[in-house]
Amino acid sequence: MTRYRWILLVAVVFGAIIFSELAEKPALTNADKVHRIADDLACPVCDGQSVAESDVPIAKAIRTEIARMVDEGFTDSAIRADLVSRFGEDIDYTPKRSGLTGLVWVIPILAGVLAVFLLASTLKKWQGGKPLKVITIKNRRLPVLVFVLGVPVAAWILIAQFTGNRGVNDFPTGDIPSSTRTLLIEAQTASDENKILLYNEVLVIQPSNVEALTYRGWTFWRTGSSEAARNDFSTAIEIDPTYPDVRVFRASQLFADGDYEEASENVIALDGLEAPPIVWDLLSNSKLRERIASALAAQGELVEALQLLDSGILRDGEDASLLAERGWLLANTFETNLIEAAVESLDTALSLDPMHPNALAYRALVRFVLLEDQQGAESDIEKFEDLINPPELLVQLLETQGLLN
Amino acid sequence: MNPIRVTAVVVGVVVLILVGVLATRDSGDDRMNTYLVGEAAPQILAQTSEGELWDLDNQRGRWVVVNFFSTTCIPCIQEHPHLVNFAESHKQDDDVRIVTISFSDTEAAVQEFFRLNGGDWPVLTSGTERVAVDWGVVAVPESYLVSPAGFVAAKVVGGVTQDYLEDLLLEARSR
Repeated sequence: MTRYRWILLVAVVFGAIIFSELAEKPALTNADKVHRIADDLACPVCDGQSVAESDVPIAKAIRTEIARMVDEGFTDSAIRADLVSRFGEDIDYTPKRSGLTGLVWVIPILAGVLAVFLLASTLKKWQGGKPLKVITIKNRRLPVLVFVLGVPVAAWILIAQFTGNRGVNDFPTGDIPSSTRTLLIEAQTASDENKILLYNEVLVIQPSNVEALTYRGWTFWRTGSSEAARNDFSTAIEIDPTYPDVRVFRASQLFADGDYEEASENVIALDGLEAPPIVWDLLSNSKLRERIASALAAQGELVEALQLLDSGILRDGEDASLLAERGWLLANTFETNLIEAAVESLDTALSLDPMHPNALAYRALVRFVLLEDQQGAESDIEKFEDLINPPELLVQLLETQGLLN
Repeated sequence: MNPIRVTAVVVGVVVLILVGVLATRDSGDDRMNTYLVGEAAPQILAQTSEGELWDLDNQRGRWVVVNFFSTTCIPCIQEHPHLVNFAESHKQDDDVRIVTISFSDTEAAVQEFFRLNGGDWPVLTSGTERVAVDWGVVAVPESYLVSPAGFVAAKVVGGVTQDYLEDLLLEARSR
């Protein structure tokens, strides 16, 4: 029995080490947690000081951020992973277990094994080449060796696995799940198919994400899945009627469906919202408002058409395109009292943009047809002819009136 | 086999691996200069010195220069006139906006600095610590060029000049 004592000793020693490392620790307060995490991260700009010790601004900011994340219930490993992803692996005092960095966990074991091997060899030499007593148990040499080396190695691996409170299933350092915001930004440059997948991913995390619903709807719309698009737009508006992007897409969809009144209502609703420039650019470049107004006027709803244009002019009084369209709609009423307002609107448009193609063409027509001002009309036509690539529809319009050859 | 020889071989292999690891890994400086480039810009949602909430996401469709600064940092003071000129040269087209994020500074000092040195772009003064951590800022000044789609197109550690910013913008636009 005595020959097994040392085996027992090895088991007890390493068992105690493992137990002390893995045993449940007393509950920590949030402040303790913050300190422990900060103490295990290097300050990114100081030499040899941890985030907990340093007083430089970024260390203070990191401590504040750790405190916020602890208060919000993030796990230690998530906090560590987040900070390491921002400031680099170098700030982590607990190196990761994967990749080449994982060598720091392996090298001590190798060194230990090597030391045992060297010690055994040296002792063997000292005993004049006789086998060592310690490993002379008949027919048990291999299992004993495996046990003697295996227990410390297993202990080391277990300790490495759990050091820094990283669970075996925790994501490794630097690999943090994408936030919904990151997924949404990535979707902007993805292919249509991937866009849908990314928006789906966002909606799994946050089903009420209006941005994902809106842009998934827009992607559906552009790829021909009209019904899915309508559903997404409706849901997005239901969740947040003040989200501007959905209004412009919804209006575009309604316009294509021929529902000009509803389309107009959505654009007017958009005018009352704070929208990012991309939304106004989209509205302006697509000339959606002008097209809706034109369609409304064509079906006899001039007041609604003018209301739509005026809503845009109220928001941006220097939009020459809207002023030109407004002038044209007013002129097309052939009402004497409205023609003056039409000319005023066209004049304002041309004072803002003297080479605006629509304003030039419309004013030339108004002058020529309604005001019988041939000279004024010719002057506008001269400028129109100087335009590079004027819109084909305007050219045709002027040709039918004999103003262009 | 001679145990000494075995030991020497093992030690040699380990040393070689370590040298390989150290020689091939990115240096801290490389990472500092490239971190976030090509990535989605982290969120910026903080209060301006005028008490308004400023959100980077509301700038979609425009280029944005995100500048981290402090009134106590000399390179920040030196780069400021360049930022003012840069902002001025893009005012008409309104194609690029600047936002300054004050870091480790007092609101009064920041306001006084802008009053004396010019610059009429938004200056975020409240809740900026979190923004600095989110952007991995280690020292000011640091500037980032954010594309209209919301990606970080370029990063500058240290002071910027107007010409350098124009070059960065030109290069980013041509990509």
